[in-house]
Order: sequence, then C-alpha cells, then structure tokens
Amino acid sequence: MQTLLLWIVTLATLVVFAWRFGTRLQPLFSARPVNRLDRPGERFSGMLGDIGLHRRMLRFTYSGVLHAMIFSSFLVLFTAIIESFGSVLFPGFTLAPVGGETWIAILQETFALLILVGLGMAAYQRLIRKPARFEGSRKGDAILIYVLATGIVASMLLEFASAIAITGTPNPYRPVSSLLAALLGQVGVDGHAAETLHMSFYWAHVLIILGFLAYIPGSKHRHMFLAAPNIFLRPLHPKGQLPAVPTLEDEKTPSGIQSFSDFTWKDLLDPLTCTECGRCQSVCPAYAAGTPLSPKKLIMDLRDGMSTGEAHLPIVGGVISEDVLWSCTTCRACMEVCPVHIEHVPKIVEMRRTMVEAGTLEPMLQDALTSFQSQGNSFGKPAKQRARWIKGLSFKPVDARNQPVDVLWFVGDFASFDARAQELTRMVAELLHQAGVDFGILYDGERNSGNDVRRAGDEGLFELLAQQNIDTLAGCEFNRIMTTDPHSLNALKSEYPALGADYDVVHYSELLLDLISAGKLTPKQGAAAQVTYHDPCYLGRYNGGFDAPRDLIAALGHDLREMPRNRKNSFCCGAGGGRIWMDDSAFHERPSENRIKEALALGDVSYFVVSCPKDVVMYTAAIQNLGVEDRISVRDLAELVTESLE
Amino acid sequence: MKITVILRLEPVLTEELELTNDARDVDREWIGLDMNQFDDQALEQAILIKEQTGAEVVAIAIEDEGTDRMLKTALARGADTARLIPMDEYDVESRSSRAMAPIYAMAIRELEPDMVLVGVLSNADIYGELAPYLAAHLGWPQASAISQVTLGTGQVTLRQEYAGGRSARLALQLPAIAGLQTAAQPPRYVAGSKLRDLLKVQIPELNIEAVPGADLAEATTLALPDMSGAAEMIDGDAQEIANAIHALLEEKGFV
Ligand code: SF4
Ligand code: SF4
Repeated sequence: MQTLLLWIVTLATLVVFAWRFGTRLQPLFSARPVNRLDRPGERFSGMLGDIGLHRRMLRFTYSGVLHAMIFSSFLVLFTAIIESFGSVLFPGFTLAPVGGETWIAILQETFALLILVGLGMAAYQRLIRKPARFEGSRKGDAILIYVLATGIVASMLLEFASAIAITGTPNPYRPVSSLLAALLGQVGVDGHAAETLHMSFYWAHVLIILGFLAYIPGSKHRHMFLAAPNIFLRPLHPKGQLPAVPTLEDEKTPSGIQSFSDFTWKDLLDPLTCTECGRCQSVCPAYAAGTPLSPKKLIMDLRDGMSTGEAHLPIVGGVISEDVLWSCTTCRACMEVCPVHIEHVPKIVEMRRTMVEAGTLEPMLQDALTSFQSQGNSFGKPAKQRARWIKGLSFKPVDARNQPVDVLWFVGDFASFDARAQELTRMVAELLHQAGVDFGILYDGERNSGNDVRRAGDEGLFELLAQQNIDTLAGCEFNRIMTTDPHSLNALKSEYPALGADYDVVHYSELLLDLISAGKLTPKQGAAAQVTYHDPCYLGRYNGGFDAPRDLIAALGHDLREMPRNRKNSFCCGAGGGRIWMDDSAFHERPSENRIKEALALGDVSYFVVSCPKDVVMYTAAIQNLGVEDRISVRDLAELVTESLE
Repeated sequence: MKITVILRLEPVLTEELELTNDARDVDREWIGLDMNQFDDQALEQAILIKEQTGAEVVAIAIEDEGTDRMLKTALARGADTARLIPMDEYDVESRSSRAMAPIYAMAIRELEPDMVLVGVLSNADIYGELAPYLAAHLGWPQASAISQVTLGTGQVTLRQEYAGGRSARLALQLPAIAGLQTAAQPPRYVAGSKLRDLLKVQIPELNIEAVPGADLAEATTLALPDMSGAAEMIDGDAQEIANAIHALLEEKGFV
C-alpha cells in the first residue's frame, strides 16, 4: 500500500518536475549553435575546481562558507534521501550493508547540524545583514527554499528520533536523533505513539522533498541542476576575444537579436542558471555609478523575458532597455566573479550590435564612430596628424613601414592624439631611444585597433579597422609589437588572431622592466614614494598583466600600497567598451572618482600609478573634479621611470 | 522622381590649423577632409524623401582625397547610385563654388534629376553660393536655408528659415534646386558592416567636359582667430560670481 502510494506521488512529481523544467529549457532548442564541447578534460577539471573547491564562491567569505556548508551537507544527506525513497519504493532496499547505520549514519547526523547552521547563516544574511547585492533578487523565493530545506532536515531528524523512541534505546551512531528521541520520551511519546509519529514524519519528509523538487524548476535554485553543466560549458577561448556574430550557414546578413532564438543556446542557458546572488552587481562599475545597468537584473530580465509573457516585446529596447545596454564598460568584473560563469559581456555586445545595425546610437557615440569611419580615429583628427606627437622629440622615430625593426610600437589613438597622453608617449619614445631599443612606428599607416569599436557593437567597422592594420603590419618586418595602450594590446593579442594574424605583443610595462633588468636603463634609488597602482581592465583581467607593472614599481624603489580592489578585482575607470565616447552626465558618481576615493582611503599615498593612456586622462579629470590635487596625483609608469632616471 | 545630391569634402577645421607661407590659405599638409555637414543634411533629406515616396537618389561628388569613401557612405546610407566626377588636383586652380558650378551644372544636365539638394553652405563657401550659381547655370528656380522639403507633382514645397524662428513656405516649379540647412531628422548612422560590404564596390565615374569658372575675388590674407585674452575668469563663491556676471550683462546692455 505504502509502496504503491509512494510510487504514484513520486512519478507524478517527476512528471511535473520534467514538464516545468522542460518548458523552461525549450527555447534553447531553437537557439543558434555554438560549440562548447571542445577540450572536455579542461572543462571537467575546471568544473570540479569551481564546484568541489568553491573557488569563486569563497571570494565572498561569509556566503562562500555558508554555501559550502549547505552544499556539502546536501551531498551527504542525499544518502538519507536515497534510503527514504529506496526502502519504500523497492521493499528490502537498505544502505545498511555499506554502513547506512554506522558511519553513514554519523555523517548524516553531523551534516544535518551543519546544514541547519548554514541555513541559519543564510537566513541571517538574507534577512538581517541584507547586503546590497541582493537588491532586486527575489527574496520570497529564497526564503521559501530555506523553509523547505529546513523542513526536509527537521523531518528527517524527527523521523530518525521517533524510530529510536519506539524502542527507547539510544543509537550511538545517531546522537542528535537519540537526543531528540529522549525529548520525545519525556513528553510521553514511545511505543505505539512513536510508531505513528514515525510514519507521519516519514511522509512529511518525502512529501517536502517532492514538493521541493516540483518547485525547483521555477526557482533560482534550478542552479542545483544547471550550475555544473553551465560551468562545464564555460567559454575557453581567450578572454579578450569576443565571439563573432553568430550566423547560420544559409544566412547572409545576421539578423541581430530580434527574438530569443537569435541568441546562442548557451546565452539562454546562462539566465536559467543564474542564482540571483548579485555578486556581479556588487562589482559592476556601471551599477555603482547609478546607471540603470545591473548585470544581475539584465540576466534576470532575459530569463523572465524568455520564459514568461514578455515574448511579445522587442528584446533590444523592450525586455532590455537601450540605456542599460549602453551603460556597460565591458570591464568583465561581472564575468570574473560569477560563481556559475555566466557570460554577460558577449550578450550585451550582441544586443549593442543589433542597435548599431539599426542605426539607433547614443549621439556622442555616433559622432565618434562616424569619425572612425572617415578618419580612422575617434578624435575627428585627420589621419595625417597621427604621428604629430613626435614633434619635439630629440630624434625621429623609424618608419617601420620602410625599415625592419625589432620592436614595432603600435601607439594607439589616445597616446597619439590626446594632449596629456602625448607627453607620456614622448617620454616612452625617449626612454626606448635612450635604452637603444631598435623600434619604429607606423606613422599615418596606423588605425585605431578597433577594440572598443567592437565592444560598442560595430562589428563591420571593427573588421575594417582591423584589416587595415593587419594589411599594414603585413608589409612590415619586426619581431614583436609593443604598445602602451591595453585596449590596443587586447585587440592585437586576442582579437586579431581570429582574423588570421598572430603577433608577439608586449605591454610597455614588460618592456621597460626588461630594459631595467638588462641594465639598459638604470633608475636611481632613493626617491621612494608611497604609491598605489590601478590595474587597467584590458591589461589585467583580460590579459593577465598583473605582475610586470608591480615589479616595475618595486624596481624603481617605490612602496606599493594595494587598494582593496586590486588585480582580478580591479575597479574599472569607466572608459572601456566605448563608454569614453558616450555621455556620462547621468552618472551619480563616475567610476573614476569612486576609484580615487578608494585610493585616498589608503591614507598617505602620493601617486596614483597607471599604465594606460586612457587612465591618465580619466583619473587626472577625476582628481580635478574631486578637488584633491593637493593630496594625490596621477603618474604613468613612463613618468615614474623617467623621473627616476633624472 | 529623381533627386541628385551634391556632396563636398571640406577641410576639417576643428583644430590645429596652420596657414600657408603666403598666408592666403590654410596649410593642407596636416589637414584631413570630411563631408560638409550641410551636404550630410541634404543627403539625409534625400534619403527621407526616398523612403516616403520611392524617389531615386543619386549622389555625386567631384574627386578629391577620400571622395570614394564618402560616396560609399552615401550608398550605405541608402542612395541608389553614386557617381564620381574625375578631377586631377593639379588641373584646378580653385575649388570655389563659382569655379565648380559649371561642372556640377553639366553633371546635372546629364543626370536629369527633378530636384537637386545641396548643403546651404560649407567651410569653403560660407556665403552659400553654390545653389544660386547652379540655378543661374541651369535656369532653374532655387531657394536656400531650407529645413523642409515636400515633393509634389511638378512642384516642390519648401520651408525657408529666417532669423528669429520665422520661416516661409515656398512653392517652386520642378526641376528645382534647394540649399539645405537641416533635414527633417539628424543624419543616421551607418553600421560599419554596410561599409565593409561595399569595400569592393567600384563607384562609376561621370566624365564631364566643362571648363571651371573663374574666381571673381581672391583671398589676399588669411588670419587665424586670435584667442588670447578672449576669456576672463571670474573668481569667488557662487554669489560673487553671479553678481559679477550680472554686472557684466548689465554693462553690455543685455539685461
Ligand atoms: S562588464 Fe563591467 S560594466 Fe559591464 S555589466 Fe559587467 S561589471 Fe558591469
Ligand atoms: S549572473 Fe552570476 S553573479 Fe550575477 S547574480 Fe547571476 S549567478 Fe550571481
């Protein structure tokens, strides 16, 4: 009788579960293809590290620890679930022969306590501590899950306790349950009454489990099932390489994102996997600046759009509004921190591409991109003026188009055209000259690398610019490319290979460090200062260039004090992804000003050291806006080196 | 219905200008060329008319450094055809509107449009002479400072802008010429993908046998604007600054 009943409710629940899950996964089957099954070994080991060791989770200590407690307990208590269902569905089934009543029992008891503590911590976090990153997450869903999970564990313990109470003999392998049994005994529950109670707790236990199972497909706790596959299917291509426009074989011009089926299936799996943890939101410079973008909300809105009645809305400009999409700096902080490896940036760029194709652009961005089309730079300056910065140098740099060189210097737009950055460009040139480096530049043959043009969503323009550079470089002889600009570095190093061009690319921080190590430049020791260093997104997070700038600062004898957000967790200046060409007057607080405050909070730091021409411009302006010129000043690495040589 | 749009490249004058040694022109050594923004408006207006009425749009330009790219942009924006009028830079003394008008006029005769749209003025034609010169050559009606174009059968209705927000509505017999001030919408953005698709397209030439007109006047000296001392910084707190500004406005008779 019991067996039949349990079969019926279990099968019915499984049907509901499969149906609820299936309808949510449905859109994935009509989405665009993408290959995410290459390098399975690497995928698997990475997945184990992220799940087994909770690598990303533990970056937020409190919730990382509580999640590890709940997660590990869940694995252990799964044995109890197997026993509960197995023993009734298949009469005679028991885990006793493999230790179900001995070592497994004691583990279950221990982890039952652990999970209750974990759930308590989670509830405390959600209801009392309320970190800002939960802003916008569905609280009711989270709380219902805590209640159900607590119900499952409590009913399990009480089921064990009432079983012990029947005979009244404590079980040494079940100390917690035995203690509860003793309490039951005290209130007079034993023998027959205990038997009835046991039966009730048993059914309560299995029914709550089934209820939980039926509920899960519509809850953020879907991640119990989807986190592992989503991590397994994570992108393995270089971080700095944006996926190309997904096109089908028979498609001439890509449609952009008109319906959910224009995304890739992985783009649609991501929203279903999102745990609403808000880690992405808490590190997002655009969110901190008060723009309408929250990477978490973006993913949640896509999820709700694809699975509920918002399917009638346009996606770009409907489900996701245009100003949300334009707010992103493509800093990648969200992707770096997301515990389930959700890919925000490619989706944002894909939707931007849709807007660009339709010609609906931010006005300032339109001016910049138009200028790229006609002049090859965003400054609206004639291409002929690109190498004008060389005026005032003590020598004339070699034209790498006419003469083989060891180092080809790809200067980049900001370094070439911006008045403040030009000074630093000249410094770099003098340093290289002084150190006897055999280098050359492309003069007016250089175009913007297209890195940020691509991220602003203009794929065709990126290809035009990239191809012009690749063609020019093909006519030059050199061993490696050097650039001061992390954005150019990213394009040359990570993006151009997809177009068939492969170069050895170094950042000037590496080259300057090499020159000092090789004794070609000898800094004077002594004039040490307390400095802090800002990791540019496209040097650090995207291309792993964390150490060379730090080693260089140390080699110059300065004392580096790290800001709390450093290296991988660096906070974007706000200029990336084409944001530098857009209007930021609606920002409540510019990311660059937020960052300067972080540096000021370190106390007596006199230099804010940067290694990107855009940063020089951004942070100089931020310091002026905050009126703190007397407390801190921006120093580019090239300036530091030059000063220490004088 | 056929519309011809004239597109002109002009020197980018936004910054870092230098004069030639004889101080009669800007030094073009470091200067780039870009589409005249009023011509850009004319192009946009032509495309808008095309979208509303199905008119055919032909963009023409006289060869210079970058004309090819400019005409491709016009195609990407929606022009049906583009024609490049070849011109060797050493063959022409001047590219003033008066000098170029006979060439444009001949091209227009060849293309036989119902309507010619051109920017009202340009950096090199600050008095907006091109449209009137063309009208004189062709014997067509023309109006300048136009902000609205409505094509009808045999005639076009134009809105002509005056100072102080006033405007007049004019009806002109077709074929006619309009010097455009603004289009009904700001020029749209063309995604790079459209330009990329046009990369290999060859813009057909339109060979014109016409003698450039002679200039009636020539620049004797050109001077860069003197910016020194043009700005006065007012110090003090908000109240003091406001008082100082008020005093200045009063002194100059603005309030
Ligand atoms: S890339 Fe940076 S700015 Fe864009 S959503 Fe992610 S964290 Fe925010
Ligand atoms: S996208 Fe990732 S980091 Fe952001 S809320 Fe979802 S799971 Fe958390």
